[in-house]
Amino acid sequence: MDFKESGFMYGLAVFVIGFVVVESVFFIVKAFKRGRELGLSKEKMKNAAISSALFTVAPALSILATVIALAGALGIVLPWIRLSVIGNLAYETVASETMLEVFGASLKQPVTDPSQFGAVAWVMTLGTSFALVLLPFFCKTIHKKVGQTVAKSEKTSKAGDVLAAAAFIGIIAAFIARAINGKTEDGVGDAGLMSIATLLTSMAVSLILETVCAKFSLTKLQPFAMPIAMFAGMGMAVLLGLALPESVAAWTWWRQI
Amino acid sequence: MKNKTERTYFDRVHTWGRLWSVGALITLLLVPVSICVHFNAWPPMQEVFKALIKVLPIYWGTAVVEVLTYTPMLGAGGTYLSFVSGNITNLKLPCGLSAMENAGVKANSEEGEVISTIAIGVSEITTTVIIAAGVLLFAPFLGTLTDPDSVFSPAFTYVLPALFGALGAGYFRKHWRISVFPILIGIAVLLFAPTLPAGTLLFATIVASIGGALVFMKLKWI
Repeated sequence: MDFKESGFMYGLAVFVIGFVVVESVFFIVKAFKRGRELGLSKEKMKNAAISSALFTVAPALSILATVIALAGALGIVLPWIRLSVIGNLAYETVASETMLEVFGASLKQPVTDPSQFGAVAWVMTLGTSFALVLLPFFCKTIHKKVGQTVAKSEKTSKAGDVLAAAAFIGIIAAFIARAINGKTEDGVGDAGLMSIATLLTSMAVSLILETVCAKFSLTKLQPFAMPIAMFAGMGMAVLLGLALPESVAAWTWWRQI
Repeated sequence: MKNKTERTYFDRVHTWGRLWSVGALITLLLVPVSICVHFNAWPPMQEVFKALIKVLPIYWGTAVVEVLTYTPMLGAGGTYLSFVSGNITNLKLPCGLSAMENAGVKANSEEGEVISTIAIGVSEITTTVIIAAGVLLFAPFLGTLTDPDSVFSPAFTYVLPALFGALGAGYFRKHWRISVFPILIGIAVLLFAPTLPAGTLLFATIVASIGGALVFMKLKWI
């Protein structure tokens, strides 16, 4: 049996992933109890959970796709562990490729040497764990400072609300800008016809559903509005991919330049 | 009295979060240690160092910036959970923001803290279940689904525009006056550095968005 997919590796995966699930359950239970004390309705909290689960499906499938992509070289278990925990789509690929390059290997071939496999696991882990060292020292301070700033602003005016919204919008704007004018290293997913059509479709569907929910008081539909809008955007990408000639569907600003 | 209770809850979250973070760090480090011990295969440390020297400045620098940027957005519980479970930009952050928006609560309020924690926790469990199910049951099928030649491939290639379009529309409608400027700044930055990842670009757009909002408030446009 391939050592990368041995019972030992699966045991390791169950242990690490179990840790993350137990942590999530712990925080959810504590938050739910606190929500009840604060007078938040059960339905509001349940809606947050349902909406979040639906919202997660498509990005989780993309993460699963990365697990599968890395599995060719690293076996299925190590990418599974890494992308179920602190990992990230881009980090894990870059970290493993960088390590393998030092050995003169690459992700295109299966890793057969356990010490190279161990080296990849070290680089993946050490590269991405630094935030866990920072958080115990700085999370509380940052959180307190921001809370104080917002509270102070709210005393004098509604500036706190506007600034909090501006910060959110700043984050979303980065992704919208990339969908309009971004380029990728490998040329897959460059901004152009497909990205803008996807973006506009999900925005339009989101706005329509939001309006319908508000107008007809459809509180049960509301948590599903954003996930439905996201799937609609993805559906548009598939439709355009099928309906348009490849040269048109693949059109991007960057290929024109 | 209420303030005291609120402080106590936040304090407790930070205590739990610190303990879980240390636990997570130990658990994660156990993976390479266990692999090396079990297979009796310790890699040459100079080689590992050669790779680390290339990736650590980027990853650790990004970690500092991510902690500073995401902590105020995700709330305390959401932050501790997100940094253990990863995929923050493309998953945990939109989930937390979307849930708070739907519930009509503010980040940095205790209600926002509760909703964000529930959303991010559920998102993590859902991700874990989907990946585990995919690995154990659907791995061969998924390869076909996401294959570049598959008809479904564009859906996964453009998952981020779909996700942030759905999330952004509501915000933009409510705050359209302050939304245009950061998007234009983002587009302008990308003209000079087109491959800049969203995780880095967002510092420019956040500064533009907050700066723009402050100017608009001063001019009494909002």
